[in-house]
Amino acid sequence: MSNISEWSQSAEYLSFRSNVPLRRIVVDSDDSKGWRIYDCGPKSVQSPLVCLPPVSGTADIFFRQALALSARGVRVILAEAPPYWSTKEWCDGFRRLLDYLNLSRVHLFGASLGGYLAQKFAEYTCSCPRVASISLCNSFSDTSIFRGNESAALYWMLPALVLKKMLMSNFEPEPAKDSDTVKTIDFMVEKLDSLTQSELASRLTLNCIRGYVEAHKLRDLPVTIIDVFNGAPLSSPVREELYKCYPQAKLAHLKTGGYFPFLSRSAEVNLHLLIHLRQFDNTPLASSEKPLINNSLPDS
Amino acid sequence: MASNKKVLLKVIILGDSSVGKTSLMNQYVNRKFSNQYKATIGADFLTKEVTIDDRTVTMQIWDTAGQERFQSLGVAFYRGADCCVLVFDVTAPNTFKSLDSWRDEFLIQAAPREPDNFPFVLLGNKVDLEPRAISAKRAQQWCQAKNNMPYFETSAKEGLNVEQAFLAIAKNALAQQNQSVDLYNEFPDQIKLTNTQKSNGGGDSCAC
Ligand SMILES: Nc1nc2c(ncn2[C@@H]2O[C@H](COP(=O)(O)OP(=O)(O)O)[C@@H](O)[C@H]2O)c(=O)[nH]1
Ligand SMILES: [Mg+2]
Repeated sequence: MSNISEWSQSAEYLSFRSNVPLRRIVVDSDDSKGWRIYDCGPKSVQSPLVCLPPVSGTADIFFRQALALSARGVRVILAEAPPYWSTKEWCDGFRRLLDYLNLSRVHLFGASLGGYLAQKFAEYTCSCPRVASISLCNSFSDTSIFRGNESAALYWMLPALVLKKMLMSNFEPEPAKDSDTVKTIDFMVEKLDSLTQSELASRLTLNCIRGYVEAHKLRDLPVTIIDVFNGAPLSSPVREELYKCYPQAKLAHLKTGGYFPFLSRSAEVNLHLLIHLRQFDNTPLASSEKPLINNSLPDS
Repeated sequence: MASNKKVLLKVIILGDSSVGKTSLMNQYVNRKFSNQYKATIGADFLTKEVTIDDRTVTMQIWDTAGQERFQSLGVAFYRGADCCVLVFDVTAPNTFKSLDSWRDEFLIQAAPREPDNFPFVLLGNKVDLEPRAISAKRAQQWCQAKNNMPYFETSAKEGLNVEQAFLAIAKNALAQQNQSVDLYNEFPDQIKLTNTQKSNGGGDSCAC
């Protein structure tokens, strides 16, 4: 894999990679299947923020959250699943991962597919909650919005190149205007390129196979919905559908930022995550060692 | 298509602590008022949808803590602001004297492309209280000198003029957005770089 994009070579990314080890954790009987994990911040924290990537990303695409939030004392775990072919299988795997890491309840931050899976996992564990809260970024609660429903059953057999093309054609709805969005796309293309056929095909399957979240089971869950108002991947009816699912949600709109605002607008996204997480200060579900309050504005 | 493009307006409320910033926001968004004073911590925001000239507009209103004064609130906080609301307490002269520095603080931090034309709105709050320390005339004079900043006298407690004031705020913000390009493009990269260097420089940025 060649790292040529500007961000792969940036001091920020290199510092992340040299400070935080990549761990491979096997929780399935098939030991070719491993979760890829970066765990940073104080290990004493029992309810960390766990970041779940979209279809095209690897775990390290959240390096800007890991660096900035762990600097504030938040424990941040970036988690990338091995190929799972159904949400049930994914949820079982993720539950075993949390068991392995000794984490009883976590805060989930999921971007698009990652956000959908975060909700499915909260629903899946609602009788015995493993999820303390959810933050969604450009996400959805019903896969029927995607055109691929009918062909989802065939993704497993398509070549990687075809799958990559399918995804890449979606990256840029309109030409990116600012340099941060341009750099983000370069970086994400590089990450997409590093994925194997089965990784891609399984994620696309999860993304497109018919399914929806029974959000009425999650009405007590603290939720923040982060989305991009203009030039976003999701149309406003889709976004409004998500707001309806979570009437309790705090709506954190960003004006712009494209598909991956956690990279292209990381300071804003991190601010929203801090505002979201600080409601758990001084509770057993705190995501940080010390209270985030008084401390909740990035001092850039 | 362009006409049904959704509009998001970012509004920032600044002013000394206990002038009623949080109360004004709560009165406007939730139609609630509490006599109990609870210090705002850090920054927080509420959203509200409004209709202006047949357009649906989402206002994102940011409230700050008074104690943050003169401390940098961070680039992310000010980024993309469309209007800044300055608030003082008509019964507390010191809160009126601080207005200049709040305005300066905003202009420095947000660095709008055309500082002279950036929309500010001034609210003189707590008009339900006696005795008044700052007359309407005095406040208006200050506004005139500041490029005719609109001025409203409000009471968050009684809900007086709050709706009207925020409608004016939204209209000013909208006008600003219509004539300016995406502010984001204007932000120099250096801001980002300092951020980066900070997180790298400290060896403790990741306790791993
Ligand atoms: N009488 C009166 N009291 C107000 C008004 N607005 C706010 N207050 C009170 O002033 C105190 C400070 O208000 P708050 O909104 O917290 O101020 P902030 O620090 O600027 O956010 C609280 O006790 C409020 O109840 C008003 O219009 N009239
Ligand atoms: Mg306040």
